[in-house]
Amino acid sequence: MPGADPGGTTGAKIVVTGLGAITAFGWGVAPLWEGLREGTTAVGPITRFDASLHRTRLAAEVPLALAPHGARRATWADRFAVAAAEEATRQAGLTPAACADAGVYFGSSTGGMLESEAYYATLIGPRARHARPSLLVAQQLNGPGDAVARSLGTSGPVESVSSACASGSMAIGAALRALRRGDVELAIAGGSDSLCQLTYAGFNALRSVDERACRPFRRDRAGLSIGEGAGVLVLESLAHARARGAFPIAVLAGEGEACDAHHMTAPHPEGIGASAAISQALADAETDAAEIDFVNAHGTGTPHNDLAEARAMHRVFGDRTGSIPVTSTKALLGHLLGSAGAVEAVATVLGLVRREVHPMPVAGEPDEAIGLRLVLGRPLALPRAIAALSTSLAFGGANAALVFRCAEAA
Amino acid sequence: MSYEPATATRIKRLLVEKLHLEGMDAASIDDHTPLFGEGLGLDSVDALELVVALEKEFALRIQSHEVGREAFASVATLAAYVESRLATVGDRHAGS
Amino acid sequence: MSPHAVVATGIGAIGPWGGGVEGLARALAAGRPLGVEIDGEGRDDRASRLAALVPDVDLSRWLPPASARRLGRPSRWAVAAARIALEDAGLPSLDGARVAVILATSFGAVRFTENLVRQTLVEGPESAQPFYFSECVANAAAAQVALAVGARGANVTVTQREAGPLVALARGTSEVREGRADVALVGAADEMTPLLHRVLDRFGATARPTAHHDEAPRPFDVARNGMLAGEGAAVLVLEREADAVARGASRRVRVAGTAGAFDAEAAPSDWGEGDETMARGIARALARAGRSPAAIDRVVAGASGSRRGDRLEARALSRAWAGAPRPPVLVPKAVTGEYGGGQLAAAFLAALGVPFGPVAAMTAVEPGLDVGVHDGSPLPIPEAVLVGALAAGGAGAWAVLERA
Repeated sequence: MPGADPGGTTGAKIVVTGLGAITAFGWGVAPLWEGLREGTTAVGPITRFDASLHRTRLAAEVPLALAPHGARRATWADRFAVAAAEEATRQAGLTPAACADAGVYFGSSTGGMLESEAYYATLIGPRARHARPSLLVAQQLNGPGDAVARSLGTSGPVESVSSACASGSMAIGAALRALRRGDVELAIAGGSDSLCQLTYAGFNALRSVDERACRPFRRDRAGLSIGEGAGVLVLESLAHARARGAFPIAVLAGEGEACDAHHMTAPHPEGIGASAAISQALADAETDAAEIDFVNAHGTGTPHNDLAEARAMHRVFGDRTGSIPVTSTKALLGHLLGSAGAVEAVATVLGLVRREVHPMPVAGEPDEAIGLRLVLGRPLALPRAIAALSTSLAFGGANAALVFRCAEAA
Repeated sequence: MSYEPATATRIKRLLVEKLHLEGMDAASIDDHTPLFGEGLGLDSVDALELVVALEKEFALRIQSHEVGREAFASVATLAAYVESRLATVGDRHAGS
Repeated sequence: MSPHAVVATGIGAIGPWGGGVEGLARALAAGRPLGVEIDGEGRDDRASRLAALVPDVDLSRWLPPASARRLGRPSRWAVAAARIALEDAGLPSLDGARVAVILATSFGAVRFTENLVRQTLVEGPESAQPFYFSECVANAAAAQVALAVGARGANVTVTQREAGPLVALARGTSEVREGRADVALVGAADEMTPLLHRVLDRFGATARPTAHHDEAPRPFDVARNGMLAGEGAAVLVLEREADAVARGASRRVRVAGTAGAFDAEAAPSDWGEGDETMARGIARALARAGRSPAAIDRVVAGASGSRRGDRLEARALSRAWAGAPRPPVLVPKAVTGEYGGGQLAAAFLAALGVPFGPVAAMTAVEPGLDVGVHDGSPLPIPEAVLVGALAAGGAGAWAVLERA
């Protein structure tokens, strides 16, 4: 039974003390929240590469022109990660010295593939001798996590994961476990991914990408939209935060993970893995399903995912399901792949802090078969919101769920 | 539904090669054996793999909504589908 | 025994030694590098020619051909290794909901990635094959293992390069220790391709022949000039020690303590000079295992023949041991090469007291490194073994394994 035999973990309450985000809405949490509230999708025509050759044409791209100065040979995935981590640690009031022993837990699904594509293409083409190996330094899934640790000068453990769409959530989960165990007293957790042709072509080969901007949970939904960016949380125990005078933004109350073991690309139609992950997260958070005030769903907009996820929610929330507000950040920012779980965690925390669930665009009729209460058009005020759930259902069947609670209720 | 045996043969060869049905003799695949579920036991990813292979082999573009429908039920239905698509292309060229 | 102790009770290891851990044990006793020539068009005489490649081994008992048809090589090996490990552990039955899978990979399914890149960038994105994409995601092997054995617990893919397998070991240990799983399948899977090998060679990462020495990995050696790039998959079965004892599992290796650290001085793909930081990581692992350096009988080093990596590890070990007597240092990557879980498998064997032979390619330890590389003489079965691996890019991970 989850949590029944804690084996050496402390009962410490773990809180979020800093947030950072780089998304198509801009470089920072402020433009992120502004964009999420406003509710217009950032999915638009791709400019990063020639999309005319691909089956679809849209993505939610980070405005690179707004990037702050970055390391010369760093990949965009690294730069998103570092910028988000710097924003988060700044908000948390952490000096470099204070970060020294922190652990870094990071997720990325493509690392520096965008930059490597240029190298590979040259290497396998007729001008192979001219391929620049320095570009391939980039092709590392551990790149963004290492870059964050390097930029902050940390010496604690660094652990990168690459579990597709759940990478960011799993990284946050790993940080939670490490903090509870006392492995570290401070953790920087998140995820980063940049748009690349390989991933874009791959999802298109699976016919998973909508030609239009994705419309999660809608009757005529036709697929996902790809996004990019980074999300970072600073995490520590409440006692540690108080001791150094830091302000707890929210409580990371619990995490759960479970695998469908059903199919490589399709979720279990009944969402059994997802509901197991959610149930475990609730148990880990010592939170009853009835206490969840809103859900930031995985909600990619594919026919299979949204239905499976809805069924999972029905299994967990029962009769109450149709009354819990549900939103999907992907409706506005597309699927951020390895950083989705992290950026969506940021969005979920913001929702709790601002007592408001961000909307999805009004774009097509909700799918009645799904039976969820969708937040559409305008933010939904939830003045008494205490607890929220964020879910990630990954390619390959791994599922992760995070439960956040208001800091005041800590 | 009618189609050329040659088209069916090409499709069977694609099935064995592109879906890595090792050890299977293309000629042994019956034209009417269901491709998915019972029968050849292919799944949704196989279907998409087959689409890419068909697009290359026959220089077609297959829309997402056409995948998995009646056209993809068996080698026979696929062959008929491919030929009808090729005929349309041919007509367009003839008319221009 | 701590009530929450976790032990490894089974192993599956596929690598350049073949399809089972017996082959690995023989190779470690023989001490010769398992490198064979890898394809390399247009390669000049000074380039690296060898890689530790998985030979043609019949895995059909563990992986029926029909089920393997779409799997990339890392997935095939990982599934086979997982099934071998489960049989080796002799677990009576599995409750899938309580089985976690934590695998590490450094490069994922490289061949399929190369194919997908070629299709996307050269032939055109519409020629991208779905198979390649679904198998070239880094978590493909872990997902396939879960599918193969019905593992519905946590499913995590660690991507921390050379430190990945030990991070995966630590994660899997905590899944079981903290009650989220009853069994964890932990390990690594990687494949080497001619293209990746060429890239590693161009980076100067692989060993090369010189006027005085043949091409071979020589960890800590004065003549070392790079690693032997390898491939394969290794999986360990982890469970609670109490459960293992209760069901009479005969072989038990306890994961007594784990730790990680990061050397922020390291550049991407390189090793830095932060031996003090790495030594602190070692100290944390030892402290969590409740052991002083003097209570460690063997070190299974991550040293691969890299000039800077090996030097960093040697200095870190020196610092961590300070004045305490130094145990023999085993260097399995001199045999297995780097990548594919060979070191993790070798560490399990080392903890069981399996004999390691002298390293055939060794000439002499680099002066000043102060590392006692084991000379192959017989050693008593160890009580405790420290395993460590330093990743290019700065991460380090350690584990203390004990005979239980």
